[in-house]
Amino acid sequence: MAGLTWLAAFVLLPAVGAPLLAHRAYGRLPSTSRAVMAAGAGAAFISLAMTLFTLAGARWEIAPIAAAAALLAWGSRFFLRGEAAKAAPETARADAAESFANAIAGIAVLAALGATLGGAATSSDLVFFWGAKAQQFAAARGVDTAFLREAAHQYMHAYYPPLVVNLFAFATMAAGRFVWTSAALTFALALGALAAGLPGLLRGRLSGRAAAATSALVVATLACIGSQADVAGNADMPLLLFETLAMAMLLRPDCAGASGDLLTGILFCAAASAKVEGLPFVLAASAIALVVRGGTLAERWKAALRLLAPTALSLAAWFAFGVSRQLFTDYSEYGRFFDIHAEHGPGIAAAILRALTDTGRGLPYVVPLLCMIGAGRLGRMAIIPLGTAAALAGFLVFTYLHHANDPAQWIAWSAARVFAPVAMLFALAPHAPATPSEETRRGAGGSPR
Amino acid sequence: MLRRRRTPDPVAIALLGSALLAALALWHVPWRQGLVRPRTLYDNSSARAVAPVYALLTAAAIGIPQGASVVVRAEPPDAMMETWYHRFAVALLPGRRALPSAFYGAFTAPELWRDAEYLVVVGPKPRPEPGRLLLETPDGTVWLRSQH
Repeated sequence: MAGLTWLAAFVLLPAVGAPLLAHRAYGRLPSTSRAVMAAGAGAAFISLAMTLFTLAGARWEIAPIAAAAALLAWGSRFFLRGEAAKAAPETARADAAESFANAIAGIAVLAALGATLGGAATSSDLVFFWGAKAQQFAAARGVDTAFLREAAHQYMHAYYPPLVVNLFAFATMAAGRFVWTSAALTFALALGALAAGLPGLLRGRLSGRAAAATSALVVATLACIGSQADVAGNADMPLLLFETLAMAMLLRPDCAGASGDLLTGILFCAAASAKVEGLPFVLAASAIALVVRGGTLAERWKAALRLLAPTALSLAAWFAFGVSRQLFTDYSEYGRFFDIHAEHGPGIAAAILRALTDTGRGLPYVVPLLCMIGAGRLGRMAIIPLGTAAALAGFLVFTYLHHANDPAQWIAWSAARVFAPVAMLFALAPHAPATPSEETRRGAGGSPR
Repeated sequence: MLRRRRTPDPVAIALLGSALLAALALWHVPWRQGLVRPRTLYDNSSARAVAPVYALLTAAAIGIPQGASVVVRAEPPDAMMETWYHRFAVALLPGRRALPSAFYGAFTAPELWRDAEYLVVVGPKPRPEPGRLLLETPDGTVWLRSQH
């Protein structure tokens, strides 16, 4: 029963994000996609509320946190003043290809569920720190600095971004105890949410069958990598959920402008608050999108603010907590910045290749790449996912190069997971439009005519 | 007569790719065990080496009271495994004081943990017996140390 209650706590996420997603400007999104986006926004707001509570020294309690998060969602509507209502999408009967694609996505989600329940996909990091911290923080009703400060708990990575631990602690407070199996099942839950919400997001420009096929490819890729690289219960699947939804929004021409950029920015905030590598993803995707879309300098500044301000706010709150409690001041542990060990370069390349080929014989990375090549000439906007993939890969290699000792073992543990967004971006790239639409460019300024 | 160059259908390519990867994901499901729930979340994962300590600590949690100190050792002693075991004890025995017998692959000084009230041993029963046996499973034993 506690296990079900633990998972049921996540039902609150779309409810918390609903005050924002109920805005008429989001009427263009199909209802399922809207609910999934509301859950993504709700996750960001709940995590931010919990961080602000603990920063202020207030105890975590379910109702005040949910109310504060819903208030943040409602307050975000302030930035949508003047946004026009958008027509609801036309619903069309799914053809055979679309039904087949949906069935594949469903099977991939069931495979993730089966692998998790079968004890074949659980991350050891769930026990090492994601779950251990959430359990402790739920008991302490806040981030337990004494627990993090203990020398024997050094491996807990006190500075890691707070979102996943916060959400797990939230569910733990709701259920009364931490439930390890339920935490592992968040892998299938997040993948299921992606399978439900992504086709509707992609349908903006594509036909229903193309959107469903692209979505199925993304979901099957992540199911495959997630099961084989053991991500169940860690922060990788939540990160991938937020990154995929945000990138799909960014590529949707009719979703630029104040409403689209704000929602993308909130999902970016969730990604950057989930894992360290979420931040370079956010910065790269935002920078490339701002350059590719065009517009005046003023329009780009406004768009940049919407895309990046939620992330800045969330991380500022987290680092303010770290600094004020003298717990951490930056993302540490990766070596001295720019203290590059170039002698490890060839070994790092070989270790990454080995890690990727050891995961489903490399197929979850190669197949999306081949699908992208097979799709023919890509639209110009494909620069956004492909540039982000290149920047993220560069960041990961750059990070591995900072390790003073041979990082081969670290790469063997992490590369299959942390390179998963690259495969997802390959799968999304053929979906990118050829040019930023007129609406997109106007949207950069957020002033609909 | 000019023949129009055929281009592959991107939808068909994506469907083919997704079907292949979904099949690969299905292949990873541990079908052989049927509908029987595995003993632990790690039985069939790449971290299956930690399944015994997960099972043992989950069972031991009932018998080790809140606030008690506990150390988890491997039999025979193994600094790397005991590093992981300490981390599992912190997570799976909340409210108890888990003392590390090893840290980052190196044994800690025995003074750090030798006063632990409870000893969990993953592997064969230790000789001589370190106290009163509280629990014995195929994965190991749980002891109330004799000095207490």
